[in-house]
Amino acid sequence: MNAVRRRLQTSEAIAGWAFVTPVLIGLVVFLIVPILMALWISFRDWNGFTPPGQSTFVGVDNYRALLLEQGVKRFDFALAIRNNLYYVLGVVPTQTAIAFLLAVVVNQKFLRGKSFFRTAYYFPSITSSIAISLIFIFLFQRTGAINFLLNPILASDNMNWLENANGVFHNLFSVFGVTTPPTFLAENSVMGLTLWQWISGPSVTMYAIMILATWTTLGTLMLVFLAGLQGIPNEVDEATMVDGATAWQRFRHVTLPMMKPTLFFVLTIGLIGTWQVFDQIFAISAGGPQKTTLTPAYLVYREGFRGSSMGTATAVAFILFIIIIVLTLIQRRVVNPDEV
Amino acid sequence: MPSRWLFRITALIAATLLAACSGGSGFQEADAPPADETGGETAAGGETAGGETGAEGGQTLQLWGAASSPAEDAALQAIVDQYSEETGNTVELVFQPEYDTTLQTAFAGGQPPDVFYVGDLRLPDLAEAGVLAPAEGMIDDPDDFYPSLVEAMSYDGTWYAPPKDFSTLALEYDVAALSEAGIEPPTTWEELAAAAEALTTEDRVGLVLGAEYPRWGAFMFQNGGAVTDEEFTEMTVNSPEVTEAFEYLQGLYEQGYAATATELDAGWPGEAFGQGKAAMTIEGNWMVGFMRDTFPDVEWAAAPLPEGPAGPGTFAFTVGYGVAANAANPDASWDLVNYLVGPEAMLEYTSQFPVMPSRQSIADDWLEANEGLDPFLEGADYAHAFQFVPGFQDAVDTLNDGIQGVAAGNREIDQVLSSTEQAGQGVLGG
Repeated sequence: MNAVRRRLQTSEAIAGWAFVTPVLIGLVVFLIVPILMALWISFRDWNGFTPPGQSTFVGVDNYRALLLEQGVKRFDFALAIRNNLYYVLGVVPTQTAIAFLLAVVVNQKFLRGKSFFRTAYYFPSITSSIAISLIFIFLFQRTGAINFLLNPILASDNMNWLENANGVFHNLFSVFGVTTPPTFLAENSVMGLTLWQWISGPSVTMYAIMILATWTTLGTLMLVFLAGLQGIPNEVDEATMVDGATAWQRFRHVTLPMMKPTLFFVLTIGLIGTWQVFDQIFAISAGGPQKTTLTPAYLVYREGFRGSSMGTATAVAFILFIIIIVLTLIQRRVVNPDEV
Repeated sequence: MPSRWLFRITALIAATLLAACSGGSGFQEADAPPADETGGETAAGGETAGGETGAEGGQTLQLWGAASSPAEDAALQAIVDQYSEETGNTVELVFQPEYDTTLQTAFAGGQPPDVFYVGDLRLPDLAEAGVLAPAEGMIDDPDDFYPSLVEAMSYDGTWYAPPKDFSTLALEYDVAALSEAGIEPPTTWEELAAAAEALTTEDRVGLVLGAEYPRWGAFMFQNGGAVTDEEFTEMTVNSPEVTEAFEYLQGLYEQGYAATATELDAGWPGEAFGQGKAAMTIEGNWMVGFMRDTFPDVEWAAAPLPEGPAGPGTFAFTVGYGVAANAANPDASWDLVNYLVGPEAMLEYTSQFPVMPSRQSIADDWLEANEGLDPFLEGADYAHAFQFVPGFQDAVDTLNDGIQGVAAGNREIDQVLSSTEQAGQGVLGG
């Protein structure tokens, strides 16, 4: 009996391996090897032209230049982190909240033209991000549609969106008359950036890109939420109705808790995606004006392909990787998707 | 059970990885030197055996360029076809989008094209990496090239890529606007400021000027300033000369006589100029083709850049043909380059397009075909190259960002110059 079972198990194991091998090979060749190779390069001085084997080993120099040594590399990296931090803080909560709202709306059983709305909201997500970026450049021009709408409301005169390096928070402070930094903010600095620079907020240009990013990703996230909502069994809803729960109570105590795993998923892919923002920056601002839309992902490109410094580029990529991992773990603690 | 599976999979991945990794780097490290050696051997053999491996025909060569306009691409293709027909070599001309990135990856992968464009800004990086073959002794009549262009295509005293053509910056102006205002094209800083003021109207600025080093740098030169000394040993950007030049330009923007392209809702200054949103701009030879194609009805002309307190100054931008250091067919590759930068092929190409021939002997013939473009050609005598040393890009970016801020009026000039100085010192002094 035991022998038969063992034989069965062995043949199952062989079949199992046979099935996973193709994917495994793909993962190793196209994902794991490049990642380890990048890690290796981040400890070397490689110009990106010669075969990587001819580069020289420099230890942790690349990381030190980015994190510890005073200089333009650390300054740019700190700027990139600051810019992207504001980008994440702005985009992730907004896109998650709106996508959830949209999903709840189009999930209504008695909504007319449901599939039309679902398609319409999803449309931006399947359009090329470069094409959308170009359309946004037109919309945000000084004589573009956005200013046409905003001018009467804000009583402003053709705001310059796409070449405006002023921080949104700095602008806000100046409304209250604070235009020069208090001494302790101007004199203390972290990673070469003064505290005043750290609290600038996203630049107006970055803000425009944040609006764009929120708008494009909404559809995908809405779809994920919609799938989650439809996974909630009708019986649960009906049972609470019988118990006399109001619509708000049903939403707050049934829908929301049951959507926790979906919410965690959406927040996680949102966090990862926003820390890696590249194409919109590449198409719209190339890191400018005045480096206020420089992000770590764009810095990787700039250092690697324009600065011929692949070592620095890969080091940035790995620090970014660590940032994403740590933040995802923290978020997992906070949201706690397993506990429903 | 699941944990055992996980362990097995991890072990498998690790094992495959180790094998793949050691194999990978082993290949490269073991492979690279022999590749170089054979490259050297063929080169040496080529010299002694001459015609045997040389340009006798039957070779297949790959030529990479950065795509420009369809007309220019077709013109180069025609010249390349002509060469193929004459020599029996087959030349495959490929225009790469995202040119620099593609070329860099090709080098890293060990499969570079035989002949390729090398821009002046990019040359130091490639030369430093040792991927370019020296051009010395490979090109007929090398003294005919403008010395400044040969210098821009050299690094550490070695000449690498023969320049295929070049462009300089000049002042382009709207003929009607100037005659309406009753002024002549400005020749000095004072005249330029006066003209910009006189030409500024309600729906037009006097001068549209990009806020970036490759434009503002010309004003630095005109005032005797520069970012570094000529040997790239120290930063000279934080000087009274540069400060003064920046103050002059900042004044123009501040008073509303000058603007950037974005402020005028245009993609680049040439577009704003063509649309009549500005009466003057400072751009290069590419304006000629652009205006002809996009704004054929606008009557415009070019003048040399106004002279500053320290005399004239402009930029020359050039692109050369490089040959890979480990080219499979060095002799045939150089034969192709020699043909492409030869007087006939160069004149045939440049006379159709407003870029200028890099050979002095055909300058007059080019002018005949391109009347009125002498201000661009004149610039060759006093032009500077847009070129630094490898790794200097960080400093250039810092300067560019500062220039944007100065033009927008939200950054102090001395602060911009000192932060550029620091960024550059990190590269030069480090």
